[in-house]
Amino acid sequence: MGAHISIPMYQRAVPQRYRLIGQRCLKCGRVNFPPKAVCKYCLTGSEFENVQLSGRGTIYSYTIIAGGGAPPEFAEDARCKGSYPVVLVELEEGPRIIAQLVNPPGEGISIGMPVEAVFRRIYEEEGVIRYGFKFRLV
Amino acid sequence: MEGVAIIGAGQTRYGDFPGKGVKELFAEAYLEALKSVDHGLDPQTIQAAYIGCLSAGSGFQLGQLAPLLMGHVGLPHVNAVRVENACASGGFALYTAACAVASGKFDLVVAAGVEKMRDVSSSKGRYWLGVSGDTEYERLAGSTFAGIYALMAARYMHEYGLKREHLSMVAVKNHRNAVANPKAQFRREITLEQAMNGVPVAHPFNVWDCSPTTDGAAVVLLCNAKIARQFTSKPVYLKGFGAASDYLAIHDRNTVTSLAATRRAAAEAYKQAGIGPSDIDFAEVHDCFTIAEILAYGDLGFCEVGRAHYLLENGDTQLDGRLPVNASGGLKAKGHPIGATGCGMACEIFKQLRDEAMEPSRQIKNARYALSHNVGGSGGTAAVFIYQRGDES
Ligand SMILES: CC(C)(COP(=O)(O)OP(=O)(O)OC[C@H]1O[C@@H](n2cnc3c(N)ncnc32)[C@H](O)[C@@H]1OP(=O)(O)O)[C@@H](O)C(=O)NCCC(=O)NCCS
Ligand SMILES: [Zn+2]
Repeated sequence: MGAHISIPMYQRAVPQRYRLIGQRCLKCGRVNFPPKAVCKYCLTGSEFENVQLSGRGTIYSYTIIAGGGAPPEFAEDARCKGSYPVVLVELEEGPRIIAQLVNPPGEGISIGMPVEAVFRRIYEEEGVIRYGFKFRLV
Repeated sequence: MEGVAIIGAGQTRYGDFPGKGVKELFAEAYLEALKSVDHGLDPQTIQAAYIGCLSAGSGFQLGQLAPLLMGHVGLPHVNAVRVENACASGGFALYTAACAVASGKFDLVVAAGVEKMRDVSSSKGRYWLGVSGDTEYERLAGSTFAGIYALMAARYMHEYGLKREHLSMVAVKNHRNAVANPKAQFRREITLEQAMNGVPVAHPFNVWDCSPTTDGAAVVLLCNAKIARQFTSKPVYLKGFGAASDYLAIHDRNTVTSLAATRRAAAEAYKQAGIGPSDIDFAEVHDCFTIAEILAYGDLGFCEVGRAHYLLENGDTQLDGRLPVNASGGLKAKGHPIGATGCGMACEIFKQLRDEAMEPSRQIKNARYALSHNVGGSGGTAAVFIYQRGDES
């Protein structure tokens, strides 16, 4: 049983997952990603303009998921690759975001390393392959 | 505000019980709690029940679980509700029950928690371990809670010089404490070397850094402090209770080396109790992963944030230390039946503060104040309680 994200729900997040669209708060000017209804910085602004994020950032923290650490819908990935890294990235524009790192764990990953977003296969549900961003070391 | 007292508590052993479902586990804990009331209690006088549970038996009863369980123990008429905040469901059930009594609305209520995690395969079970974070982002990054806490651990190591072996010291301590606890899931010691070299789960964690999946239930009986002595000469008073929330997703938080929900809940509980961290004699804290106990030391005020590893190195939080933490074995070794955990901690403290710790070797002596701390998922919610023994004049 995998995490259930219906196809329409996944589709609604396509601007974020495919194109890294963030929102700049018209009140305080800071960038929220993923989007919020009320700005997470000033806690009052509710009007935003879209901004294209660069996809560049640095590793704020990381882990390497193996075997029992993988959710069922990623168990096959963990089995095939042995393990896969997950990173918390601090984006150039300020927000942090969690995603997979495409480089194999053997390459040596550490906090502070620069990364950039790449478009990849995420997982499959209801027979539909879901795509979105991951990161790679630059 | 009315005072709140605990007059009875019971829990099943935690573990793997193929012969018992959610109803049987709940009934066992409930009947043990009733029996623990020294002067007896007429169950028909119970007015409300708050029951913590995440998966409702791996999804078989997602709706109206509470009346199902109360009907099973002869209390179909009681105002019953399920409380859900993932791993803090039991803590929030206890908090809600305490507020109901403190408000004066009810005099006698049940706070409980139950979880049945071992009926399904390991892979199906893991479904439930990553649907209480920010599913759309954390889960779709390929992470369950092990991975989220691992991100906190790696950052803590980077910022404060915590070493891999400090994580393992938590596991070794808690496994040692569980040996004498008849209610614990794993009653076996592990060596530091073993703890550092288990099967990898989410770097830096191996299997010994993780709480297990567990079946179990816990029930606590609360009443208005004014009537507590009708039921027992040894009530335990809930002097303070706090609960708070935070951003659910790890990427939305300012810091990942401290849980703001814990800090806010603790501040509320200490303020209400009128005491501070240095007054606490022992504590049960939420160690779902070894780093979680380390975060708790700082967030509960037992040390400065970032200095928790010195408490471990000094042995301060061992059973014979100045502030024993997780004398029960903690989530790591006592077990972690998600929704039951918060109430199971209250059971342990109720027994300890009445000098009824079951095995003399694990009785904490001369304790006056105790604290319990229950976290939802990776810190989206937290509840903190301060208890005072009630057999003093
Ligand atoms: C760590 C984990 C992945 C291991 O799962 P698993 O590999 O499927 O383990 P199994 O249940 O198949 O058990 C295999 C063996 O390891 C032991 N074991 C399992 N988890 C253990 C743990 N956390 N600590 C110690 N031993 C453990 C079992 O007792 C069993 O031993 P046995 O073969 O002697 O009977 C799993 O326990 C887990 O997901 N824990 C985290 C729970 C969680 O996230 N809770 C919510 C917290 S927010
Ligand atoms: Zn703003």
